[in-house]
Order: sequence, then C-alpha cells, then structure tokens
Amino acid sequence: MSTQTSEIKAILSTSPSPYWYLRDGYKYLLALFAVCAMYVGIRLYQGAYAMDTGLDSTMPIFDVYWRRLFYIEITFEVIFVIAVASYLWLTRDKHMQALSIREEITRYFTFIMWGGVYGMAVYWAGSYFGEQDNAWHQAAVRDTPFTPNHIVVFYLGFPLYTILGMGLWLYARTRLPLYEKKISVPLTLAVVGPFMLLPSVGYNEWGHTFWFREELFASPVHYGFVISVWFALALEGTILQIIARMSVLLDKFALENQ
Amino acid sequence: MVSQSTAISRAAEIAKISRTFDFILLIPILLVIIGTYHLSMILTVGDWDFWLDWKDRQWWPIVTPLMGISFPAAIQYGLWKHLRLPIGATVCTVCLLLGMAITRWFAYHLWTNYPINLVLPATLIPGALLLDFVLLTSRSFFVTAILGGMLFAAVFYPANWAIFAPFHQPVEYNGSLMTLADVSGYSYIRPGVPEYLRIIERGVLRTYDTYATPLSAFCAAVLAVPLYALWSYIGKLFSTTRFIDKF
Amino acid sequence: MKIITKRIIKFGLLGLLLFSPELFAHGERALEPFIRMRTIQWYDIQWSKNTVDVNQEIVLSGRFHVAEDWPNAMVKPDSAFLNLAIPTPVLVRTATYINGAILNNSMALKLGGDYDFKLVLKGRVPGRYHIHPMMNLRDIGVIVGPGMWIDVQGVAADFKNPVTTLAGETVDLETYGTANGILWHLVWLGIAALWLLWWLRRPMFIPRYKQTLAGDEDALITPLDRKIGGFGIIGTLVLITASFVHADQKYPESIPLQTGRAEIEPLPMKHDVAVKIKRATYRVVQRSLQLTMEVTNKSDKPVELGELNSATLRFFNPALQRFDSNYPKELAVENGLDVQPSSAISPGATATLTVKATDVAWHNQKLASITKDTDSNFGAMLFFYDNTGERYLASISAPVIPDFGTN
Repeated sequence: MSTQTSEIKAILSTSPSPYWYLRDGYKYLLALFAVCAMYVGIRLYQGAYAMDTGLDSTMPIFDVYWRRLFYIEITFEVIFVIAVASYLWLTRDKHMQALSIREEITRYFTFIMWGGVYGMAVYWAGSYFGEQDNAWHQAAVRDTPFTPNHIVVFYLGFPLYTILGMGLWLYARTRLPLYEKKISVPLTLAVVGPFMLLPSVGYNEWGHTFWFREELFASPVHYGFVISVWFALALEGTILQIIARMSVLLDKFALENQ
Repeated sequence: MVSQSTAISRAAEIAKISRTFDFILLIPILLVIIGTYHLSMILTVGDWDFWLDWKDRQWWPIVTPLMGISFPAAIQYGLWKHLRLPIGATVCTVCLLLGMAITRWFAYHLWTNYPINLVLPATLIPGALLLDFVLLTSRSFFVTAILGGMLFAAVFYPANWAIFAPFHQPVEYNGSLMTLADVSGYSYIRPGVPEYLRIIERGVLRTYDTYATPLSAFCAAVLAVPLYALWSYIGKLFSTTRFIDKF
Repeated sequence: MKIITKRIIKFGLLGLLLFSPELFAHGERALEPFIRMRTIQWYDIQWSKNTVDVNQEIVLSGRFHVAEDWPNAMVKPDSAFLNLAIPTPVLVRTATYINGAILNNSMALKLGGDYDFKLVLKGRVPGRYHIHPMMNLRDIGVIVGPGMWIDVQGVAADFKNPVTTLAGETVDLETYGTANGILWHLVWLGIAALWLLWWLRRPMFIPRYKQTLAGDEDALITPLDRKIGGFGIIGTLVLITASFVHADQKYPESIPLQTGRAEIEPLPMKHDVAVKIKRATYRVVQRSLQLTMEVTNKSDKPVELGELNSATLRFFNPALQRFDSNYPKELAVENGLDVQPSSAISPGATATLTVKATDVAWHNQKLASITKDTDSNFGAMLFFYDNTGERYLASISAPVIPDFGTN
C-alpha cells in the first residue's frame, strides 16, 4: 500500500496536473454541497412540520419535532467542534520552514475554500434563516426562545459558522507560515465578531421577555447582532493579507527552478 | 538557469493561477457580504423593507439609505484603495437584493403564504451605481462622500417609486380612505405586525403640506455624507493587515 | 388527519399517544397567568361556521372586557389592535367592527370597558387550522382568546382578492403590481450585472494589488472606464428620473399611507351585581380555586351565579344548565363550579357566597402558576343570571393565597 501511495505521489510531483493548486477542489464542492443540502433539508422539514407541530412550545409534540432537533444540533456541534479543532491541530505542519512554494500556494487556495464554506454557512444563518425568522413570527406567537426557526438560526446557524470560522483561524495558524507565529488582527476580528452573534441571542431573548414582546425587527434588542456582524468587514484586511502573500508567492514561483 | 520558453510557460501558468484565484476568492467575499450586510439591514431597517405598508414618505426614505450606505462605503474603500476597483457599492447592493429576494420567495411566500407584492424588497442598486460612478470619475473619497453620498440617499425614493407607486392608489375601503398598500397589509393577517407597530408618517413634518417626500430625501442626502465618511473610515480600520504577537 | 397520518408513519402508534388535536394551541399559555387573567377578558366568542370555502366569508364575533385591575407591570392599553392568532394568512380579513363601528387601524381601550367585535374573514388557503381571536397591545404583547378549528376547503389557486380603486380600476391584491416590481428589479440588476462584468472580465486581485502597491494605480483605470463612469452618472440619473416621472404620470392620484388611532366608546353596560372578594385560595393538590365573596344584587330580579371565566377557562354551575357545548372542550368545565348557598340572591340583598372552581384545567392551561407570579392577584369574570335569562357581568380580582396541602 505505502509503496503504491509513494509511487503515485512521485508521479504526481513530476507531472503535476494543470490545476495542482486546486488540490482540495472536490472536497470544497462537496462541503459547499453538504452545507446547502443540510439547510435545504431543514427548510423542507420546517415546511413539512412547523405549521402542524411547531406553534406551541408547551405541546408534547413540540418536544418530538423541535426540541429533539435542538438536541441533535447541539450534539452534532459538540462533535463537530472537537473534530475540527483536533483534526486541524493534530495534523498541523511542524516543519513550516521547509514548505515548498507550490504547497504554500495550494494551501492558500484551500484556506480560501475554507473561507467559502464559512461564507456559505454565514449566508444561510445571517441572510436566509435570519430573515425567515420574521416570516415565522407571523405564524406563531412568541412563547419560547426555541421556536422552530430559532432552533435553526440561533442554535445551528450561528454555531456552525462560528465553528467553521474557528477552523479558518486554526487552519491559518497550523498550515500557513504567515500566521504560524503571529496573530492576524483582521482574521481574528472577522471570526470573533460574527461569533459574538451567538451570545447576543441572550440579550435578544432577555429584551423580548423583559420589555419588548413585539416583533419589530428594527428594535434595539437586535442591535447586539448588528454590531457583531459589522466586524465581518475585517474580511477586507484578511483578504489583503492573503493577496499580499499570494503576490509574493507567485513572484517566487516565477523564479523557481522547474 | 531558467530557459526562455520555460519562463514564458511559467508566466502563463502564473496568470492562470492568478485568474483562478480571482474567482475562488470571489465566492467567500460574495457569500459573507450577503450574509452580513443582509443581516445588518434587516435588524436595523428590516420592517420598512419587508412590508409594503411600511414604505412611507417620512421614515423609509431616510432610514433605509442611511443604514444601507454602511457596507457599500466600507467595502468601496477597500476595493478602491487597494485594488482600484470601483464596484464596492454595486457588489454590496446586488448581494443584498439577492439575499432578500431569495428569502421573500422561499420564506414569506412559499412558507408563510404572503403574496409576493406585500413583501417586495426595495432596491438600493441605483444609488450604489451612482456611488461607484462618482468614485470612478472623481477618484476621490472626499468628492464621493459629498456628491456620491448625497446621490445614494436622494435617489432612493424616486428610484423605488416605479416599483411602489401602483400601491399608493387610493381606495375607499370599508368607508375609509386607504391605499392599496394599506389594504394589503390589513387583509393579509400578520399576528406579529399589529397596525400600531408601523413606524410610518410619525412626527410633525406637516408644515409644508405635501412636501414631506422631497424633504425626507434631502434630509437623508445630507446625513448620508457624514455617514459615508464614517463608514469609509470603518472600512479603512477593518482593512488593517496588522499582525500582533499575542492577544 | 394529515398530521395524524404523518405521525403514525413516523413514530408508529406510539405517536398517537403524544398527539391530541383537542389540546392544540397557539403558544398563549406561556404568558404569565396574571396577565392573561387581568387584561383582555374574552367572552361570547363565536364562529359563524366551522367550514369555509376559498373566497367565501366567515365571521368571528364576540366580546371582551378590559379588566379594571390592570396589572401594574403592564403599560395601559393605549394602542391595541384586534388581530388573529392564525398560522399565516390562510384567511384574509375583509372588515373589523368594534361596537358596530368599522375599524381599520388601532384603538385605545378603556379600563373596565366592554367591547363587542366582529371580524369578517374570507377563506384563502385550504387546510384545517386552529384560529384564535387575539389582541395585540403595544409594549405588552398579545392576549390570545379561545381557539377553534376551522376547515378551509377548495383550491388555493382559485382565491381572488379584488379591490376597486377610486379611479374605478378593480385589481387583485394577490398579484397586483408584482410583475411590474420584479421587472424594475431586473432592469437595475441587469445594469449592475453589466457594470460588474465590465470589471470582472479583467484580472482582478493580485495584478491590481501589485500595481496599486507600486504606485501606478491610475494606469488601472482606462480613459474608456472613466468615460463610462461619466455616462453612467448621467444615464442612471436619466433612468431614475424617467421611471419616476412615468410612474408619477401613470398614478397621478397617489396618496401617502394612511394611519391613525380610533376612539371607540365602550358598550353601555349595566353592572347591577356588585361583587367583593373576601378571600381567595388556590388549593394546589385539589386544583381548586376557592372564593369567599360578598354579592350585592342591585337589580330588580333574583340572580344566581352561573359561570366563572378566567383567562378563557370557563367553569359552569351545573345547577343553571348553561353549559356551552360548542366551546373548546379543553377550556370548558361542565360541572366545575360549586356555589354555596345555592339559592338565588334576592333583589337588593347582599349575600356571602362560597364558590369553588375545580378542575385539572387550571394546571393544563398553566394558570395554576398564578401562585408563583410576581403579581399574584388573580382575575376573572363572573356571569350571574336572573330568572328571565338576563345576564349580569362582574369582573373580579383579588390576591390569591396558595394552599399547598402540606398542613
């Protein structure tokens, strides 16, 4: 087995495919598809069962269809966060000084692809399910912080992109020389800011029960989310770091012996 | 030593990598903008955008462009300053509209049964195009803040009027005067949006008879100038490429 | 039926045990009992029928009393909107009447007032729905009335919502203006797409970054680009102006959105039976509210207590046989009210009554937790009847003392 693998590797390194830097392209497409499939599936599930079983949180049937989904989500997230963190950390590159230019370029592509999966998770949580929440408030009276849409947006959407964001940060830390020893301010802000949406759920629900039971979306109980989400603009700095490094790498690549 | 032909093929390969990089990098940029700009908008001025019977003359033309200029100004800064790309505002508003359109259709219409006309989004694209065009022709953030910022906000109401004017036709409904938009909001029951929740036509902008709309548009235009500058600065802050040693 | 079938498919027969349609509700029970008991007190709620076809009218009517002892934790009901707890607009609303007057907006409510209402609705989306009258109260939230099952039959696509404008044009609100709106969105999206493609067709990030870094950024903008920018400004402004003028000319009589508050006086009601609560106890183990009250009959006929209604939960005195069999079963306790002494109170007389309202429904409706509320005054309406069948209303409230049954 090992002989075969090394042979294949040898062949690959002598005649690299024209898109060698898109090594993780298929995994990327698969991950994008997985995120979309999961959320489309959940949306179909909401469409099929929310009207019948999700209107009253005091009903036993609510537990079956929605609290159970909540527990599944939490279990999945705990497993996923441990898996992502330990995978990235345990397989970290301990010899980054010896990194080839091609490998580093490839890793930057993978890094951006990770960002793409993160972006997809941000889209579903922030845009689709975020606004869908207002639609659902037109069907049900708010009687719990765990409505059929909150269970998806607050307890799956926000944690999922938070975990992927953490993965993005860790990927850079463990695989890219630029980020190995130093902490990137914009990358950290871009990941931690949107993460703060998760604790903002507490402020939101407290505000709604304490003094504002109506579903005015422009209400100040939602501003915690808003300020947190602005930090995503730090993506600009992150992208500039990536572009700057890629431009150096491509210059080196031009001079590299073939 | 690198031969000449190898160097040429290497240059071609680099060009290809660079171009692939463009498209690969666009995906997270666009997705994150949709997710975050859309969320920021719905949680600050969402109600005016969700519902037809919230699009009034006093609040909607002020609050929407003033919050709407946030991401366009900030992203425009980064794209122009470091890449000389005058498309930041247009990219943001197109992303915003796509995010909204998808939700209006799949959530409000298909899931919760609201007719699409009741939840038609407003467009910020005309103002954003102007913002980008002004930046491109003036090559100055200062001019863009003043002229572009003003145009961005001022054209919001007139540019959307083509979409929403039909709903402002008067109707005699149950003996009182209403617009088609009011009737629609009244007919299609919204348990979470009682009539009194509408923040419309409040305040005492009454002295000038029917000039409320242009006054709102000009007020928004003036306020958009400092807001553009502020968001441009926020864009600058977030464009930092700093590294630090520890938290 | 659809849901029961689904449940059986999913969880087998066990699923049936978990589901009882009669207990279906709309989330109202999560609101603290003292608010449900002492704000909007719903009564006489009636649907004109249980089944309605698409496009056909159905009427929900009833009354509500605005409690005198409004909780201090709540703001006063200065803005109220009569609404429905309905799973999305499966019915559309065509008219609202309060005390016979048409109301399209919100209104202020007077404490102690009684209001008669009528909601005229029209079938829209076929299905079986549990629908409640509901009052939205500004800064308080919603107070939900008793819910009932309504079947909407027919085909959703047949639904029409015609409205005639003052210009004489009849439009269908389901679809009116949608195509025009989408068309304009597509026009602007198309222009934006051309603008973005103009830039995306060139190499973007790395070469432009390098050139900008080298201080040669002006070369990245060609004279043609700048020309397009200039024409872009003019073109965009021209298109905006043209579209605005066109719309303005097409709809010259457009008016601003209409908003306002209605003032509607409460119904003139005689309150000829005065009730003073001497003591109220809730016996937790027995699930029984026990009241000692002093009742003064100011009418000219003997009266008897027939019903106690607290937060839509109704307890009937079996002696008077006034049980309402159409009322939701989970909210009606047929023999739940025990009144001692059972004799009628003579005109002009004052009698001390001991009343027990007992049923597990206190617990099921999550009203028993009144003893754990921050403001543990309970509230209810009492319905007295004279021998001609005339009804006398009294709204009561008093501190309720829990008896945990430990001594």
